[in-house]
Parts: sequence; C-alpha cells; structure tokens
Amino acid sequence: MSPEARPERWSGWIIALHWAAGAVILGLIALGWVMVHGGLDSAATFDLYQRHKSWGFVALALTAGRLAARFASSSPQAPASARWERRLAASTQGGLYLLTLCAVLSGWLVVSTSPLPVPTRFFDLFVIPNIARPDPSLFAAAELAHRLSAWAIAALVALHVAGALKHHFVDGDDVLRRMLPRRRRA
Amino acid sequence: MTTRSLAPLWAGLIPVALTFGILAQTEVPAATTNWRIDPARTHIAFAIDAVGYPRTRGQFRQFAGRISVDFAHPDRSSVSFHVQSRSVDVGSASFDDYLRSNAFLNSEHFPSIDFVSSSVAKVDDHTVRVNGELTLLGVTRPLTVDVAVEREAGGGQRLAFLAKTDIDRLEFGMNTGFPLVSRDVELVISSAAVAL
Repeated sequence: MSPEARPERWSGWIIALHWAAGAVILGLIALGWVMVHGGLDSAATFDLYQRHKSWGFVALALTAGRLAARFASSSPQAPASARWERRLAASTQGGLYLLTLCAVLSGWLVVSTSPLPVPTRFFDLFVIPNIARPDPSLFAAAELAHRLSAWAIAALVALHVAGALKHHFVDGDDVLRRMLPRRRRA
Repeated sequence: MTTRSLAPLWAGLIPVALTFGILAQTEVPAATTNWRIDPARTHIAFAIDAVGYPRTRGQFRQFAGRISVDFAHPDRSSVSFHVQSRSVDVGSASFDDYLRSNAFLNSEHFPSIDFVSSSVAKVDDHTVRVNGELTLLGVTRPLTVDVAVEREAGGGQRLAFLAKTDIDRLEFGMNTGFPLVSRDVELVISSAAVAL
C-alpha cells in the first residue's frame, strides 16, 4: 500500500480492542499472581481461579478479534525510526499476539490435563469443554509454558510501553497519539 | 429423644435425653435429664489439604442427630448422625457446587452421609470411644471416634462434645484429585447440650 493510502490513525475498533486486550491481559497476570501467591483462603482462591479461567477466554476472543481487525484494515505508516527500532517494535507486537495465544492455550491445557478436573464455567453461564484428558506430565509441561508465557508477556508489555513512551516524549511523533481515542473537538 | 433436621435458618433446638450414672451421683441431679443441643454451637466441620493450594475448611449445614449417653452403662449409649451432603459449605457458592458434583460428594446420587454407632466404651470420666459405621458415597466402613464430653465451667448444666477423627476418602471411592488432593479428611464434630 502506498504511504498516501494509509490512514493517519488506527481505526476505532483496533484502538478499542487494543486497550481492552491490554487491560484484560494485565488483569489476568495480576489475578494469576494473587491467586497463586496471595495467601488467600481456599474459597477465595477457588473463586479467583474460576474468574481467571473465564477472563482467559475473554483474552482469547479479544486477541482473535484483534488479529482479524489487523488483517481486515490497513495500518498507519510506520514512523521514521531506525530499522532496528522498527524490527524491535514489530517483534514485540508480534510476540505479544503469539504469547497471548500461547498463554491462553497452555492455560486451557493446564485446566484440561489437571489431575483435579474442575469444570471451566464461563462466568457461570456455560461450561467450556476441555481439550485433553488428565495427564500429569502434560499438565506439568503446560503449567510451565503458561507461567513462562505470562512472564514473557509482562516483559514484552514493559518493552512495548517503553517504546510508546519513547516515541511520545523523545521522538515527539504521533505513534502513541494515533492509538489513543480521538478527542472530541470543542 | 427427638430427631430433627437442622436447617440453616432453623432456630429451634434438639431435645436430647442424656442418661447419667456415675456423673449423676456427683454432678447431675437426676439419672435421666432432658437435654437440648444448641444448633448455633453444633458444627460438623471438615478440612482437607491439597498440594499448592490452601487448606480447604468447610462444614455441613444440614443434618439430623441423636446422642444418648449413659456413663454408668456406656454400652447403652448411642450416637447417630445423618448429614445432607448437599449442605456442604466452604464459603464459595461455586466451590460448593463443585464439591456437590460427582467429583466429590455426588450429592444427587448420595444425598446422605451417615454415621451410626454400634458400641460405645468409656475411656475416662470425660471421654467415650464410639465405634460405628460411616456411610459415604454408598460405601460403609467402620469408624472409631473418641468423643470428649466436658461440663462447661459456670454454665450450669451444660455439656460440650468434641469429636475429631481422620477418614481416608479413598476407602469410600472418593478418588478425585488424588494425590494432588490429600486422601485424609479431618472431621471435627462439636456440639453443646443444655439441660432443659
């Protein structure tokens, strides 16, 4: 696509899905940490696990929606940064998509292969089926993948935010602004 | 002896007749006295451990019980409890639902958990050993429980009962989550009876 045909900003849908997914993913990491390390009682821990599982599927839906929206619409022109910066930014963004999918799918596998099969009730509305049978070795592997994905996401989010702030405050370009909701003109 | 179900909001009391021999000569005025169990102070509680998970503590809210103690003739004493498995309460509605499912209590098919004593033997002035049978998930196994019976200080004619024991849930076919979830379940049954 020629630079002239590219939009100046991200579309409203992409902006909305970006921030929603960001909030849900960071919330999931926080929830995951609290439910494992928070020292809560058994009942509260159980409820947090159930909530974590439900929101995990929300993250999956948002990520699928984001990928569809990215492929369906054109993206704004990349900023005039150094090549390594553009590559780093693209890798970070691609990594976040990939790791989010990996985190959700490994989490689904953890739930499915767990020696203690607790049904996943999506916000108490319906049961989401398992994708495998209980299997201790697969469970251990899926748990490790889930944990590593979560930490990797946290690291990439930090890099992603640092990049956005660098564009805004150091480079003074519109990379951050074009991902923010459009302000109404007075 | 009257047996009633202890509904969660039920504010009534269970009259219990406790027949005393040795104790009656020194502390209790009559050989046979009507007693009532204080439902607010009667708890059928349990605790179970799991790897990487906080200890789960809960109780059953609905049950019917009969306690008859004769210290002079312990063999005449008897205890029975019929607990509604669906009344399990661990402090989370969704966790309760999971425990009621066929993974654990299977409440739909096995609505009652029953303990019926077969013999009672005196251990000392404050303790009796109750032998009986526990039926859980339709499986009946022998169970022996030591029950501490104490007169409460300053409470007039008030008795407190306390029974603690561990059961092996695998013996009853409750295998879900083992070994992640412990096979031993701690049971603590406490109650208080007041002279009428």
